[in-house]
Amino acid sequence: MDRSWYTRLTLILVVTFGTLWLLVPTYYSFAVLDKADRNNIKKLAAVLPPWSPPAKYRLSLGLDLQGGIHMVMRVDTRTALTKRAERRALQMVSWVSGKKNLGEVTQTTDLDKLLVTLTAKDPATMDAIEKEVLGSFDDFSKESRNGGQLVLKLKDTQIEYYMNDAVDQAMLVIRKRIDKWGVAEVDVRRLGNDSIQISLPGQQDPEQAKELIGTTAQLEFRVLDENPEIFKTTFETTPPPEGSGIALGTADLDGSSPARPFLEGTDREAMVNYLKGKAPEGKQILLHCVEGDKGKKCQRYYTFLVNKDVPLTGENLTNAEASRDTNTNKVQVNFQFDAQGGKDLEELTSKNVNKRMAIVLDDNVVMAPTIQEKIGGGSGRITMGRSNDLQQAQMLSLALKAGALPAPVTPGEIRQVGASLGEELIHKGVLAVLLGLALVVVFMAIYYRVSGLVANVALVLNGLLILAGLAAFSATLTLPGIAGFVLTLGIAVDANVLINERIREEVRMGKSARASVDQGYDRAFWTIFDAHVTTLIAGFILWKTGTGPVQGFATSLIIGIIASLFTSIVVTRLITTWLVHGRNATTVSV
Amino acid sequence: MEIIKGKTNIDFIGKRRIAIWISSVINLAIVIGIATVGFNFGVDFAGGTLVEVKFAQSTNTEKVREGAKAGGLNEPQVQAIGSAEENSFVLRLGGTTQLTDVSEKAAEAAIRGAADVVTLSKDLENGLINFRVKAKVDPATLKAAVEKSGTGVKEVRELGETNGNFDYQIVSAGMADKVTQALKTGMAGSQFEVRRVDYVGPQIGRQLRNQGVSALVLAMFAILLYVAFRFDLKFGPGALVAMLHDVIMVAGYFLVSRREFNLTSIAVLLTILGYSINDTIVIYDRIREEMVKYKGKPLAEIINIAVNDTLSRTILTSGVTALSLIGLLVFGVGEIFDFAAAMLVGIVVGTYSSVYIASPLVIWLDEREHQNDGAAGKPISSGV
Repeated sequence: MDRSWYTRLTLILVVTFGTLWLLVPTYYSFAVLDKADRNNIKKLAAVLPPWSPPAKYRLSLGLDLQGGIHMVMRVDTRTALTKRAERRALQMVSWVSGKKNLGEVTQTTDLDKLLVTLTAKDPATMDAIEKEVLGSFDDFSKESRNGGQLVLKLKDTQIEYYMNDAVDQAMLVIRKRIDKWGVAEVDVRRLGNDSIQISLPGQQDPEQAKELIGTTAQLEFRVLDENPEIFKTTFETTPPPEGSGIALGTADLDGSSPARPFLEGTDREAMVNYLKGKAPEGKQILLHCVEGDKGKKCQRYYTFLVNKDVPLTGENLTNAEASRDTNTNKVQVNFQFDAQGGKDLEELTSKNVNKRMAIVLDDNVVMAPTIQEKIGGGSGRITMGRSNDLQQAQMLSLALKAGALPAPVTPGEIRQVGASLGEELIHKGVLAVLLGLALVVVFMAIYYRVSGLVANVALVLNGLLILAGLAAFSATLTLPGIAGFVLTLGIAVDANVLINERIREEVRMGKSARASVDQGYDRAFWTIFDAHVTTLIAGFILWKTGTGPVQGFATSLIIGIIASLFTSIVVTRLITTWLVHGRNATTVSV
Repeated sequence: MEIIKGKTNIDFIGKRRIAIWISSVINLAIVIGIATVGFNFGVDFAGGTLVEVKFAQSTNTEKVREGAKAGGLNEPQVQAIGSAEENSFVLRLGGTTQLTDVSEKAAEAAIRGAADVVTLSKDLENGLINFRVKAKVDPATLKAAVEKSGTGVKEVRELGETNGNFDYQIVSAGMADKVTQALKTGMAGSQFEVRRVDYVGPQIGRQLRNQGVSALVLAMFAILLYVAFRFDLKFGPGALVAMLHDVIMVAGYFLVSRREFNLTSIAVLLTILGYSINDTIVIYDRIREEMVKYKGKPLAEIINIAVNDTLSRTILTSGVTALSLIGLLVFGVGEIFDFAAAMLVGIVVGTYSSVYIASPLVIWLDEREHQNDGAAGKPISSGV
């Protein structure tokens, strides 16, 4: 045995042990944890031995195997767009009449082409109007002008922006609602231009799932209780249960005003349970979520005590936009209310100067800015504490718009699988794999004798490698994934058939055992390589274009093909070389 | 043990004309069939609602269909899945929402009766009715009015005020709710469990279909590029025709068997692409090798030798892959059974096309090339 043989042996041993090591979290999640806790990463992490890979790297079951709901929601960006165009047109009319020297205009909006036609009462003023309007409403460009008639078109960049905005809004609302449920594993992601994909493994109730998009987000403006001593007294008289992680905080969240007590925690459900019935008469306790990176999941929650009555709702809000003030370089959110809302806002702000106003979206406090002065005229702005808070400001403006300019969402695709069906499919899937595997293994052993057994060892390793590979990518195993798994096992054996047939040919030509094995492997290499690469190409395209279960199939196929290259070319060759060279055999059992 | 003892000497190339003729006729028939009769598209591509139910009592397809009809469903497609003792059925309905061309008129009349409508537009694909009214209306009233007209309502959305008028959107309830309701009333006394609901909106369906087709074309192109890069250009057309042949044949399986054509079917077709070329490459590789070895021999003879030499491995590789699929055929239900069955068809035609289609095409191209050169019969150079 030469040195390179030992190097390869080491490589194979490392890969084999690495494979087994990678499968540790998967093993624990299936064999140690209760079925109900399979999706609970925290519980899995708790039972894992310290030397195991993180709990994240485990193979979980797809929605079709464990039951659950997969939804694709389409955001009706078209409706969102036409509503905005219409509102902007109305704003133009009132903006022109607000300027003393421009006279009056009327507008008509072509909702199909997103064209706004302004008609001046006095055509003579149109030149001035055109200049001013184009200067101030830079989301529109001039389409045509005919005397006293000016046709404006919503810019393409703006159309894209509004459409994106509508999807972002809808996602924000969906995320907030899912967070409220406290579902452990949820995946919400954007799909293309106008869709949102939501996966709710284990979720069984489609009615509850529909809640996610069922209703328009409720936006409310409420006054904050400036003296929330209740949090401190509650915490001291009836301390929260051990292990709930609820703590008392006193530093003010902004750091700008005097410290007030509040409670904080990481477990929403525990906090809600603890605070149930603890709010004083006429008040309500609401939570604020501190988001993690990229606005993904809530990291912590803070409590807020607010007045129960709702003086103002998002129904009267007409627009909100985040921007950076060029003078102060601070980030702000400008907002506008309609006539009725403007009146309510004036009343609310005049009575509560220097108090804080909670902006509440679906019972979640988005932000609680301090009212600096009375806001008249229906439009005002919220200035962010720090100048680098553009992301926060955008979040706030999205939240405001979600309540004010709802982007209608319709279900594009819903796939719901009951848990009992999932269980049956797992059962049948496992049987299918075992039967296929048994047939192949028996056939190989009979047909190729020792070489067949070697191929079988490689086949089992190949199966483990696929599972470990899926676990390493935190992939899910779907029913099509199982089919892909079976198919790749077939392809892996294929490679060994190619090699063994080649060796037989060499033996038939009268070559020695050693030469036959070496040449058999060498000659079969490129054939196997080409065959694997072409299947890999198909696999990658499937993976790139497919969604859901089909992607699961592609993932199994890709990992399986790569694993097959390794096991058939490296692993079986090592063993066969040892059998022939190492033992100085004169015949090869093939 | 050996399947084929010693060397075979079958004249594959001599029979190439018959093989190509038969294949072309079948392929053409399938393409015409797809264009005229069409696939039995599943909800993935056609859009619609699919509900899988399992009954506690023994029943049959006919009873379920009658029950669903009695419960008020319009022309449901009912199919039994699994074995008869399982009492599992799949119900398919064209629409995804309860707002259909049957119920839309009544729904519109109901809205006009309940509010002072300025404009109204309907979006049947998404089950939406958008309308603008002069004065605010109570959403509950609207909901009650529309539901009374026969269209289930999921939600009445208030879209706010524009120009003194008020906008509303009515979102009709999904078809799946109606299926459960219909079965409960139409098959009173029987107990069932809803095991699966698939609901695909028509736009998403179209999107998925387009994606599927473009994935197939893209994969074929990418594989062809690879073959052109690894082999002589002369091998390209043969590989392409063999791939097309196999994909069409497997599509033919879905066409003739009337099994549902869905996303999984696209996955099968793509896998067949990879598999088809796989088999072809094994033979091409050998042809290339023999071309170096037997310089001077006519190409037809070389190819015959190559095909004969690789015959046992061609049969074995296909056989082993087919063997691994048997488990899926025995235990697979629904889509997975279709997957395995279509794969099997693909493996068989893939093997056939590598021998009878892909290899002869190399000769044909070579002959044409040499006719142009005026030097027929000259062996081609090996292209590595």
